[in-house]
Amino acid sequence: MQQNHTQLADDSYFAAVTNAIRTETTKLLSEGTVAAVIGYQAGTRAGTVIPTIITDAAKAGDLVFSPGCVNNLALYLTKAKKEVRPAGKVAIIAKGCDMRALAGLLGESQLKREELHIIGVACVGVKGAGAGSGEALTTGTIARKCRECTVRAPEGADVVVGAVPPLPEFSPVEAEELARLEAMTPAERWAFWKGHFSRCIRCMACRQVCPFCYCEQCLCDRNRPQALETTPRPAGNMAWHIVRAMHLAGRCAGCTECERACPMDIPLNLLNRKMARELKTLYDFEAGLVPVEKGPLTEYREEDDQSFIK
Amino acid sequence: MTKTITEQKLRSLMDLLLKEGRRVVAPRQAGSIVLYEPIDSGEQLVLGIMPRRSAKETFFPLCETILTYGKDGNGVMVSDVDAGAFPETILVGAPPCDAAAPAVLDAVFSWDYNDEFFLERRKKTIIIGLACTAADDACFCTAVGLSPRDDKGSDLFLTPVAGGGYLCDAVTKKGKVFLDTYASFLAGGEAKPLPSAEPAATPLDLAGIKDWLESNFESPLWQEFADRCAGCGACAFLCPVCHCFDIVDEGTETKGARRKSWDACGFGKFTNHASGHNPRDIQNKRYRNRIMHKFKYYQDKFGQTLCTGCGRCVRSCPVGIDIRAVLEEIQAKP
Ligand code: SF4
Ligand code: SF4
Ligand code: SF4
Ligand code: SF4
Repeated sequence: MQQNHTQLADDSYFAAVTNAIRTETTKLLSEGTVAAVIGYQAGTRAGTVIPTIITDAAKAGDLVFSPGCVNNLALYLTKAKKEVRPAGKVAIIAKGCDMRALAGLLGESQLKREELHIIGVACVGVKGAGAGSGEALTTGTIARKCRECTVRAPEGADVVVGAVPPLPEFSPVEAEELARLEAMTPAERWAFWKGHFSRCIRCMACRQVCPFCYCEQCLCDRNRPQALETTPRPAGNMAWHIVRAMHLAGRCAGCTECERACPMDIPLNLLNRKMARELKTLYDFEAGLVPVEKGPLTEYREEDDQSFIK
Repeated sequence: MTKTITEQKLRSLMDLLLKEGRRVVAPRQAGSIVLYEPIDSGEQLVLGIMPRRSAKETFFPLCETILTYGKDGNGVMVSDVDAGAFPETILVGAPPCDAAAPAVLDAVFSWDYNDEFFLERRKKTIIIGLACTAADDACFCTAVGLSPRDDKGSDLFLTPVAGGGYLCDAVTKKGKVFLDTYASFLAGGEAKPLPSAEPAATPLDLAGIKDWLESNFESPLWQEFADRCAGCGACAFLCPVCHCFDIVDEGTETKGARRKSWDACGFGKFTNHASGHNPRDIQNKRYRNRIMHKFKYYQDKFGQTLCTGCGRCVRSCPVGIDIRAVLEEIQAKP
């Protein structure tokens, strides 16, 4: 069905954000406040970007902000990318959802706040799966996560760039899909996930882009002995996805990078969201709002629900 | 004389092949994407959409068992997989960048060791290639010596014609025999091919790129290209010519299987030695290997480029690394 989609924010919004990022970068680097700025630069295909680390103020003009700025750059501050993280204080461009990841990483003692300069973007949204590289940001091309975003105005940044123009109401496509799943019988849900996981090729793109998958030895790579089957077959795939969901429960910031990176279009964020919902119900906890030292799953409290211990 | 086949006849031909007990692998809808999968009816054939994964898995599956073992009171029994029992297969609807790939891989799979799994499947498969009429902004077959009309690697080659249907040309002897056998599905006569796809690709000077690679193993450019690389397997797994695999034993003490499955040089553990030493200890060295293997080592060993320009790595890289941009930057160097 062909629908009429309205463009969200005109080019002046993105131009303003881009300019503000460049100005801030020039200032930070020339004054020596930070050693590097992690941001986005234009990619080769129209509308695409690539993450970049800039250390020279003269290169500030390379930085851009566009609806293609999908990456959560917090990845480049993690242990998994320790070889590229410049020493000293680093500035990072962060959308609201990326900031939730930063909050999580701060809580897990992976980052020190005083070593970070956060350039928060007041965010209209980014493009989602299926949007062509050259397409504009519209009510049709916007990412599912952005339709339900509650962190457009980032809090806790050192500086916020841009101003969000008025936006239309979005139907919560992903919440509806989650509700559909929850209404299924366990057998139907099993079939749903079995179908999706049958396409998983264990390329680990979901893990590699996740800011919280920074373990130096992932359980899923273990081979002495093997913890779970590493081959892309039903048993190992199911095990991998259960491990992934459990290890990210109460940590996942909802940036949906895993789902975006998945070349097999597996709706991984439905699992993330379900786990987040469980954490909210069981422990009244929401990941990534403020840095907390211990998440509910790594902490024991007397008043925790123990009814499941029989 | 040129033969033509209508789309309906092509689908009925697939039905007949299936009825005759052949395995037919073709682009087919799988969830929200299209993949090469065995089809159960000609109706399922999706034509003109490039599958998300390449056709290499027809010959080199994502995962396959190479032996099984069992142990009981009486001892251990090991049973080999009989490659001779692999089914006769028709691979249909592969664009030139996919159809050309298995022929590139023949060299490595029959080099110092004959990989019977790959070679047996090659022997038993007929490839029906399909000319491309649409390219996207990641396609660059023309920059690596192929073209949207190239029948390299195909046994039969289909070219879409105006008004529907295809020109059907036999490319190899195998293809000719196939055409003769199923002549009743074909018609003669003239037909006007649809205009070919036109990838907007910058020509690549592959010899010049190789020269640069010879002397720039330690270039600081590798950091610039690939510090951002996340180290996943997306590019290698989707690539029609990446062919690294891992072998693992999976099972219990009493029963299990030895399996071969895709591996990728982008993974951090790919070159991790048992000693704990890892010669490719950081990501840009792993990405360097990707480029070296494709544009130098495979040239040195087999005289071929390990890239067909399908653009899958460009489309799938989660951090936007574009292999064309890397190659163009290399060729711009003195
Ligand atoms: S989820 Fe919110 S902050 Fe994140 S990209 Fe979308 S609109 Fe921006
Ligand atoms: S990115 Fe997708 S295909 Fe790759 S391992 Fe993760 S879920 Fe599987
Ligand atoms: S290297 Fe990239 S463009 Fe070349 S064949 Fe492989 S996936 Fe396709
Ligand atoms: S180049 Fe891109 S797709 Fe390939 S390993 Fe690196 S991040 Fe993954």
